[in-house]
Amino acid sequence: MSSKSRWANDDDPETEAILAQRKREKEEKRRAKAEKQRQLDEQQQQQQQRQEAKLQAQLQDHNSTQADAPPPSKRRRLSNDHDQARQSPQPSKPNTTAEGNNLLTLPASEWGPCRHVDNFERLNHIEEGSYGFVSRAKDITTGEIVALKKLKLEPTSPEGFPVTGLREIQTLFEARHQNIIELREVVMGTKMDEVYLVMPFLEHDLKTLLDDMREPFLPSETKTLLLQIISGLDFLHAQWIMHRDLKTSNLLMNNRGEIKIADFGMARYYGDPPPPKLTQLVVTLWYRAPELLLGADKYGPEIDLWSIGCIFGELLGKEPLLQGKNEVDQVSKIFALTGPPTTQTWPEFRSLPNAKSLRLPSSASAPGSGAAHPPLLPRGKFPYLTNEGLRLLSSLLALNPNARPSAKQCLAHPYFREDPRPKPKEMFPTFPSKAGQEKRRRRETPEAPKRGQEAPKLDFASVFGGAQAGADGPEAGAGFTLRLG
Amino acid sequence: MTAPTSSGLKFLSNALATPEQLSNSSSSIDGVAPDLEASIRFAGALLTQAAGVYLRLSQDIIAQAIVTFTRFWIGADGGSLRIYNVQDISAAALYLTAKLSFQPTSPRSILNVYGFLMSKEASPLWCTNPSPVTKEPPNPETYVLTEGQYQARRLGLMRTEARILRTLGFNTHVALPHTVSLTYLQTLGVAAPAVARRVFEHLNAALLSPQLLYVTHQPNALAVAAIYLAAREEGVKLVNSEWWEVFDVDREELGFLVVAMRSMEGFARAELEKWKGRAVPMTVEEVEAEIERRRVEGE
Repeated sequence: MSSKSRWANDDDPETEAILAQRKREKEEKRRAKAEKQRQLDEQQQQQQQRQEAKLQAQLQDHNSTQADAPPPSKRRRLSNDHDQARQSPQPSKPNTTAEGNNLLTLPASEWGPCRHVDNFERLNHIEEGSYGFVSRAKDITTGEIVALKKLKLEPTSPEGFPVTGLREIQTLFEARHQNIIELREVVMGTKMDEVYLVMPFLEHDLKTLLDDMREPFLPSETKTLLLQIISGLDFLHAQWIMHRDLKTSNLLMNNRGEIKIADFGMARYYGDPPPPKLTQLVVTLWYRAPELLLGADKYGPEIDLWSIGCIFGELLGKEPLLQGKNEVDQVSKIFALTGPPTTQTWPEFRSLPNAKSLRLPSSASAPGSGAAHPPLLPRGKFPYLTNEGLRLLSSLLALNPNARPSAKQCLAHPYFREDPRPKPKEMFPTFPSKAGQEKRRRRETPEAPKRGQEAPKLDFASVFGGAQAGADGPEAGAGFTLRLG
Repeated sequence: MTAPTSSGLKFLSNALATPEQLSNSSSSIDGVAPDLEASIRFAGALLTQAAGVYLRLSQDIIAQAIVTFTRFWIGADGGSLRIYNVQDISAAALYLTAKLSFQPTSPRSILNVYGFLMSKEASPLWCTNPSPVTKEPPNPETYVLTEGQYQARRLGLMRTEARILRTLGFNTHVALPHTVSLTYLQTLGVAAPAVARRVFEHLNAALLSPQLLYVTHQPNALAVAAIYLAAREEGVKLVNSEWWEVFDVDREELGFLVVAMRSMEGFARAELEKWKGRAVPMTVEEVEAEIERRRVEGE
């Protein structure tokens, strides 16, 4: 009864007859189809056997014949094992051979031409970053909501397709990790210079979220966020990718407490030894490591860990930790927090190009930081942080890049194992999404440096130089900043 | 626990051609005979290799460029020899790969080298300059680009680069078997430099294979096959068991690859013989002329 149409008249024998007829036809069709499939399978099996036999023969006779053996016919993979490969993208799925051994199948992707951007319907504008516009869009065929990032390309660029854009795409394609934004595909417009990255849409970025929150995240939440960010970074570094622009506005978050690293516009591969001629103009000023500010042209993944330190500080205080107005001011803000470098804490810093103009206060070498390695930051700045937390933060914000821990070491830090434990992601509060519909207000965060700009010749004479500047400089580290209300 | 393993492996693996992509190429749809297509692709890969050597690029960049070059022509959505000049795709693939590497090179260097290698009088390559090489250095006027030519070709290079990116869906990642093969050799306890050298020779020759080995097989399989063959040729005894399974390669795949790699020398000789005294068509016009010539001959 249930198979009958709801709209059919129960008492109409004619309709019933028609329905029965239809049912029969359907059944027949299904049977025919099954039969056809069976034949096809059989055929393929035979083919496979034939092929195997041929290959065995080839393998055997290649041992006996000489080098001028005729080229074997091109092997065509059978369509059924191709389907299988498609259905199981998990490469670790063991492939059992006749001998019963488990072979690992490497993950094989495919390539195909870019689809057209018209496959997406643009819904609203989210943001304009230094490398492109981002908008929320709907995939017309699947109805899925995605983020579309249009790459900024200058049509008359002398180098052709900008290397930054290429690196962004290449690194993102390779960095598949739960804490890194997934690049689904690249689509293009009609013109060659319209290139869009299709990525999943996430409701928030950490920067906007922090701006709108009344109170900073709880310690347990901070740990969960930080753990996710660092495990994403650990993966990147394991793939020899430096991000080079970590900051809260590049960390996206969904309403399930998951955080993903985004915006790979500055990312690139590095090696050991590092590739020559790395540009110093990387990382947004407030998150830029001191060795970059002092003009080092040899640097490594440690610069990302400095940025992590700045983000950690920002999660604790809800405000960016080191908001310099320019490079010189940034350096003085850093030294005000960490204390100036000494030959014990950072032996190499004197040889950095911009360190020549730096005049350190003569008393600065005195603080008993000598043995402490690296020195702890002033406790007063972070009143609610535990000792382990302060130790982690101080090591991340170590002036000497060699003293900073690796991402892997960070993950094992006792800070993440002491109470309060990291809060489960599922327990995270949800927030209204600004990117979802409302337009964002412009923020006054400085932009990531533009590629190809001349690295400025910096004069750091004023960092500690002026007597009047000295008053608010080094002293700022002391005293509590407990704000009420 | 499966996720980290797979994501880590992505770095070592390649995108492979699908059966549909292998069964029909854009050129064959456009009526280019399969043997002609294979010849042109072989000559194009040779050209890329030679240009890379002249540009003093390291072999990993050259190898990646050849794989990108090979991928471009595959499948119905790939490039057709009746639309794109082989020399242009080769130059753009090399430029693009070098740009992403630690050893970028300038458009001017690329175009100068290709101008030289494509010159019918000066080129040392058999596939572009069939006449025997003379003792005297070639007259520079036969290969040096004028400023006007350079500017025009530079624009063409940029356009071709964008075309490659679009055709490949920006999939520029190429994993090579070379480094993996050295690790495998160490694991097998083979210390003879002759074997390692032979392995690299096979791997580099396989880049030119008409069987498109680099777009149909993963690097680990290529490495294992090259080691198997090299050890046999050098008379080095490997462990007495099915060691290739340790590196996740089954007997069937190994057998196919070994035969394919062994056939490379014969194939190269046959090509040399086939095109004796003639240049392999490297531009759309030359391809058209060759198709016309074959048509007339067939009548």
